[in-house]
Amino acid sequence: MKFNFKFKSPVSTAIAISVGFVVLLGYIFGTNARGETTSLGFLRNYFLQGAIIWASVALIVGVFNLVGVHLHKIRKNEGGGYSFVLLVSLIVTLGVGIYDILQTHLHQELNFQRIRWIFNYIQLPIETSLMAVLAISLTYAAARLLSRRLNLFSIVFVGVVLLLLIGAAPQIAAQAPLLAEFRDWILRVPALAGARGILLGVALGTIATGIRILTGSDRPYGG
Amino acid sequence: MAFTGLIGLAFILAFFGLILIFTITHRENSETHLRPISAFQKLSRAIGLAVEAGSRLHISIGRGKLSGPESAAAFVGLSVLESIARSASSGDNPPIATSGDASLAILSRDTLRATYRDIGISEQYQPTSGELAGMTPFSYAVGTLATVENEKTNAHILLGHFGSEVALISDAAERNNDLTLAGTDNLPAQAILFATAQEPLIGEELYASGAYTQAGPMHIASLRAQDVIRWLLVVIIIAGAALKFLGLDQLVTNLLGGLAP
Repeated sequence: MKFNFKFKSPVSTAIAISVGFVVLLGYIFGTNARGETTSLGFLRNYFLQGAIIWASVALIVGVFNLVGVHLHKIRKNEGGGYSFVLLVSLIVTLGVGIYDILQTHLHQELNFQRIRWIFNYIQLPIETSLMAVLAISLTYAAARLLSRRLNLFSIVFVGVVLLLLIGAAPQIAAQAPLLAEFRDWILRVPALAGARGILLGVALGTIATGIRILTGSDRPYGG
Repeated sequence: MAFTGLIGLAFILAFFGLILIFTITHRENSETHLRPISAFQKLSRAIGLAVEAGSRLHISIGRGKLSGPESAAAFVGLSVLESIARSASSGDNPPIATSGDASLAILSRDTLRATYRDIGISEQYQPTSGELAGMTPFSYAVGTLATVENEKTNAHILLGHFGSEVALISDAAERNNDLTLAGTDNLPAQAILFATAQEPLIGEELYASGAYTQAGPMHIASLRAQDVIRWLLVVIIIAGAALKFLGLDQLVTNLLGGLAP
């Protein structure tokens, strides 16, 4: 029997596996019988705090990636107009954010009005509009589903969606209590059972993925 | 040390033992019979088409945080990204990866770079092929739309953690008549993908992606281990229901409670 694990970067692989094991064991042996944190628990917390700091660093790297990708798009003229707007927005928001931080430090009181204005009057309305577009997209997709994939599952899916939407209307529920009861039964029994079944599958898949990463079989860090 | 923690450890060790056994048996008998899933059959065809026609494959690995449980779905996406990058490496346009989390963007670039280095075509790697599309759910979706609308791209593989914003991505792909294969760990997003994606992956089919895209024998072994554990859970659930029906559930609860310290 021959195991053909090729570790191209043995150091990063060893670090990832050992830290993963410490964190996993820290969850189980992190506290003693008196509820006090053990050395393993401290080590686990240390690694988790480190991961949070690294995630913040990754955010800065991510911003550079975003800038790089959009500069590349402008240069290659692939939707360059949108990329230009994005980069200008990024610079303006960053500038306003830094200005607000400086103001806060200079006056020794919280002063984030400008950045809050950008969020309240630009980002929030845009995201709310996208939510509205999403509602239309979903309605259209549900209508199109039957023409695209006509099978039993699609018919049940669309039927249940319609039933739940109709049953949720207060006036209809008041006039047709049987429909409201049927809707509640669907939510309590078959929908909940299906959701639990799917979640069990997701949980098993998550554990399997975790084990593959712990054993170094999957190395998403390029090792 | 909690009693439940020990049970958890025993469960993980049993799972690992099963994966190990199935990996060994798979090496001795490498013939694999996997249930045909049309999404993966179409994916193979899309990879072939990308190589022949010079089109591009787009893999989106979602916006799951690496420190949360949703990271598992993103790791599946990364495994598939690696497999696809290998398979489509001889094409004119290498695959492009988008994500909604900075750490995932770094990992996607790292995965692409390591894969190209491994197969000896490091010059094909472009730093812009692992893209951070946006940092909030909707900015991620809108940022990804630019890649979806690109005329060179003909298939979109959405594997990772998504919310309802994924409908905007799959809807745009559908309008372009592109193949959309999509799976996520999030229940509401699964329902949305069922309606909007051409080839939705339901439930744990997402976690089988690696086995179907030849990501390695451990993926097939872990799939079989999941099947065994699933049947075990089915037996336990039915036994629990039977005990409840017979009125013996309290007795078993007391017995199990007595085992805990």
